Amino acid sequence: MSAFAFASPAVLLGLLALPIIWWLLRLTPPRPKTEVFPPLRILATVLKREETPAQSPWWLTLLRMALAAAIILAIANPVMNPRANSLNTAGPLVLVIDNSWATAPDWDRRVRTAEALIGDAEDAGIPVSIVFTAETSYGAIPGSAAAAREKLAAARPEPLVPDRQRAAAAVTEALNGTQPGSLVLLTDGISGASDEAALASLSSLAPAEMRIIEGDGAGTVALSGAVNNADSMSVMATRLNTASAQSLSVNAVDTQGRSLASGTLSFSPGSGAATAEISAPFELRNDFARLQIADRATAGSVRLLDDGFKRRRVALIAGDSGSDFQPLLQPLYYISRALQPYADLIEPTTADLAVSIPQILQSNPSAMVMADVGRLPAEVYEPLEQWISRGGTLIRFAGPRLAAAPADDPLVPVVLRQGERALGGAMSWSDPQSLAPFPPTGPFNGLPPADDITIARQVLAEPTPDLAERTWASLEDGTPLVTTREQENGRIVLFHTSAEATWSNMPLSGTFVEMLRRLVQMARAGGAASAANGAEGAAVLPPYRLLTADGSLTTETGIAKPIAIEAGETPVAAFDHPPGLYGTEDGFTAVNLLAPGTELQPFDASAADMNVAREGLIGEEARSLRPFLFAAAFALILLDSLIVLFMNGAFSRLPRPSQSATAGIAAIAALTLVLQPGLSQAQDAKAGDEVIMDRLDTTHLAYVVTGEDEVDRISEQGLQGLTQFLTYRTTLEPGEPVGVDIATDELSFYPIIYWPISADAPMPSPAAISRIDAYMRNGGTVLFDTRDQFSSLDNSGATTPNGERLQAILANIDIPPLEPTPEDHVLARSFYLLNDFPGRYAGSPLWVEARQEATQSGSELSSSGDGVTPLLITANDFAGAWAIDAQGSPVLPTVPSDAMQREYAYRAGVNIMMYMLTGNYKADQVHVPALLERLGQ
Amino acid sequence: MASIGQIVQQTSGSEVLSRAQARAALVPDCMVEAKRIANTVIAGWHGRRKRGIGENFWQFRPYAEGENFAAIDWRRSARDDHTYVRDREWEAAHTVWLWADLSPSMMYKSTFGSVSKESRALVLMLALAEILARSGERIGCPGVMEPVSSRNAAERLATAIMHAPQTSGMPDTAMIRGNSDIVLIGDFLDEADRIMERIAPLARRGMRGHVVEVADPAEETFPYTGRTEFTDPETGEKLVSGRAETVREEYRRAYLLRRETLGEALRRLGWSFAFHRTDHLASEALVAVHGYLSGMPVTGYGGRS
Repeated sequence: MSAFAFASPAVLLGLLALPIIWWLLRLTPPRPKTEVFPPLRILATVLKREETPAQSPWWLTLLRMALAAAIILAIANPVMNPRANSLNTAGPLVLVIDNSWATAPDWDRRVRTAEALIGDAEDAGIPVSIVFTAETSYGAIPGSAAAAREKLAAARPEPLVPDRQRAAAAVTEALNGTQPGSLVLLTDGISGASDEAALASLSSLAPAEMRIIEGDGAGTVALSGAVNNADSMSVMATRLNTASAQSLSVNAVDTQGRSLASGTLSFSPGSGAATAEISAPFELRNDFARLQIADRATAGSVRLLDDGFKRRRVALIAGDSGSDFQPLLQPLYYISRALQPYADLIEPTTADLAVSIPQILQSNPSAMVMADVGRLPAEVYEPLEQWISRGGTLIRFAGPRLAAAPADDPLVPVVLRQGERALGGAMSWSDPQSLAPFPPTGPFNGLPPADDITIARQVLAEPTPDLAERTWASLEDGTPLVTTREQENGRIVLFHTSAEATWSNMPLSGTFVEMLRRLVQMARAGGAASAANGAEGAAVLPPYRLLTADGSLTTETGIAKPIAIEAGETPVAAFDHPPGLYGTEDGFTAVNLLAPGTELQPFDASAADMNVAREGLIGEEARSLRPFLFAAAFALILLDSLIVLFMNGAFSRLPRPSQSATAGIAAIAALTLVLQPGLSQAQDAKAGDEVIMDRLDTTHLAYVVTGEDEVDRISEQGLQGLTQFLTYRTTLEPGEPVGVDIATDELSFYPIIYWPISADAPMPSPAAISRIDAYMRNGGTVLFDTRDQFSSLDNSGATTPNGERLQAILANIDIPPLEPTPEDHVLARSFYLLNDFPGRYAGSPLWVEARQEATQSGSELSSSGDGVTPLLITANDFAGAWAIDAQGSPVLPTVPSDAMQREYAYRAGVNIMMYMLTGNYKADQVHVPALLERLGQ
Repeated sequence: MASIGQIVQQTSGSEVLSRAQARAALVPDCMVEAKRIANTVIAGWHGRRKRGIGENFWQFRPYAEGENFAAIDWRRSARDDHTYVRDREWEAAHTVWLWADLSPSMMYKSTFGSVSKESRALVLMLALAEILARSGERIGCPGVMEPVSSRNAAERLATAIMHAPQTSGMPDTAMIRGNSDIVLIGDFLDEADRIMERIAPLARRGMRGHVVEVADPAEETFPYTGRTEFTDPETGEKLVSGRAETVREEYRRAYLLRRETLGEALRRLGWSFAFHRTDHLASEALVAVHGYLSGMPVTGYGGRS
């Protein structure tokens, strides 16, 4: 494929004209110099009318030649990466296109390749038959190019493995004996199971030409399996293109799409498989919902995980319910402590095993631990055995009861001798035994040797030929300590010693924890699903979430049919069962695209018994260089114009740099002169002066903006109402209420600030509280309103949230001692004579600074405030009572609904304002008679 | 690329005056030798070499019957028996018309010349006026100023020129009466025949003329190269020369031929002709013209023809 060609090479003949253009360009005269010349008449007599052209500079000619050449080349339409058109027109074009999972990354290129072929077929006027190998139905009958294009546009990569044989059969059927011209396989490059048959049937059509188009397969990497190990998760991956070393990271993602852990897949050159270890704590691995290769968005690069990788549900059953008074002696104590971090534990609700065991089996445990259960009710044996057969793991611990149980217990892995063996003790010659190293075959392989464990008692197994291989752990003298027996899909494990610390100190050791954890980890979680369907053996699960071709999950289940999953079988995706999660939200099974252990092999076309041409996808879209050439020509034109202008002296009239600099300085100076008067006049003005002047001209009521919209609105309306009332009743005519931000605004303009406390509002910053403190010290007053008089219904005096917030606000403020407003306080008589100060609620006292004569304390605050209390605290919701809307009608009802209470609330507000503004002047009025007397009147 | 020639602003009269006075100081006083005695005789300093009203002694001649007794020179008559009358030489002032071409083409100045042609022409005219006024001649300017006999005639001429309307072409000679001298200063770039058509009537009226051609060096040497568009400052006519350097020799020949033709025609009229280039000193031209006016042509100056 040549990387460069011309769409219309004939135009290139125009390049032959370049020499002529060159000659013409040389002859074109430049613009003449203009000269004034008085003796023109004399000159006119000698000057012949010959336009002798002056020669243009060679570089200008060259530039114009390049311009002409660029335009000619542009018209010739050169194309990068052109596509060869070599369709065989002997018969219809047959396009067999893989739209499998591996085509998702470069689907656009594939579509373009196919479109190009269809376009060629359209040009040649031959019909097109197009089939997609990952579709369920094929419309392979040759049709028009337009129809094929529609089909192509409708096709999407499917998260499936292609079935080429079916596609080939469909093509064979559709052609019905017609001999195709070009048969083009647009493959994903992955070998499939039915390739040989498919190729054979395709070549039996005897096409004039068979062509295989495939990508380089560099991006085709799939996860072929995942195994949850003891301390990490192994992720197996396979790739198609084994040429070079490759390193990919695999992310483990939870259900919310968060990446929890990652591992690295390192492919060595020539190797198609790699394994990544994702190390993560067990608890974290439980949350893995899927594994995906970073930066690869295909269905194959995602491995869905299901409950098989989840925490095990473990049922704990003890033979002796024991007593709560001696927990350390209970058989399940150590087991539950050991398994708590790793598994969900189920304990029976009743001690009656006949009831509790079927109950437990209904909840589908992965494993069941029976500690010293000797004899079970007869009717539970069968369900238990069924559960084990389906994959349950039964872990039993010995004990006095088991030792005393009859030997025909079907739920022990080995035949046990009656009674137990005691090691050590007063009546024994032997010492307690410690553990032998764990055999390499069992699950305990690799555990550190547990030298500190000693076993004093155990039950003994009857020796049988296969006892050794059933033994996972044994004592130093070789007697089995842990034996096992597989029962169909399940397993029974027996610890030959007790689960509490009476027979051995094993339950106290860390080894015990690790052993139990490994055993539980071995237990199949899949048993849960099958158990739900009783004895049928195979569960039929509806699609729950399906994987799309680009590796994301969708709730759209489309044509997916419920999948029947045999117990113990790993389901594999098929046409009817695209990969995804099957089941319900509570329990689902992951169906992955590739079966575990799958290896991707390159597509092998040797089965076709004819010559097969292989080619790659068309690269980037055949790129026309025409725009670039036109752009270059345009740039050259501009350059040429500039040069001509320059040669003709168009720029010689520009002012000299020094002149322009002088002019610039002069302009700046002039501008400065113009602006100077304005600047000099505005020098003492600052931003916000008008606001300050407005605040100073008129008294304004202010409230603290809490940040809670509803509270702030009520505050605003409340102060509006009080402002109107004041204007109507008194000589005080306040301006519009002002909301202040205590953190930033200047507070000193306001005689009183109303602060509705709201626990939901953001806590003011320490700096803001400090400003309030300073405001109060400087004579301002803050009216705190907790607005919760009736919030604490019981009269217990418990602090309400708003009260707690008020306490938090006041914690860092130096407040004077407070008292409820005394009857004879100025506040009660500064304008109206009032007995109490109701708001929306009545009953809460209005707390003011305790008067000096009452407290005998020399507070600085009172002196600076001229006897006015620096803070008022109420819970009566003043603003709520004052609040009026735009029409002047009250916004909120009083509690109880009482017009007089609202009136009194307004009066309280008036009294507070008067008290604020007049200070102790009103108090002095009390002493008028005494003063007059002192004056000698 | 800056052009070689340009049109300069009209030289202001006062500036020209100061420069003209400086030039005039370079030249000795000039006495115009009157060749002919005009009928309109007014007392002047020039002896007319004939008997008449004057102050200088001319001759003693015997007293004739009927003459005024007051005319008898008794001192001379006492020396012998005859009665003599003292004749005085007839002294009369001469009228010299000065004219400079102030048309737009005169405002041309090239990079080779030091001043524009107009400036040089004005300087020459006023210098002549200064010299002649000092000699007591009557100075006039056709179409601008009636002849005056005044010591400050040059200043008055300058003032008159300052207020005179812009003129072009040859002078309006209607106010010239009688025999007088006329000095024409200009570039005379028109065809020689057309110039002579205007000048010949003046000569036929008996005027004696002096023509000074002021030329810019660029007009004479034609230093242009390359593709050049030439513009006539008077008519605005344009002429494009593809390669100016190719016509240089031809142009120079045509230019000099015109000068030759003009000079020849003037000489036939008995007029003098001098040419002057603006890259030369103005005093050179002044000396030449002065020589012609005083009847003693300076030889060796390039303007001779």
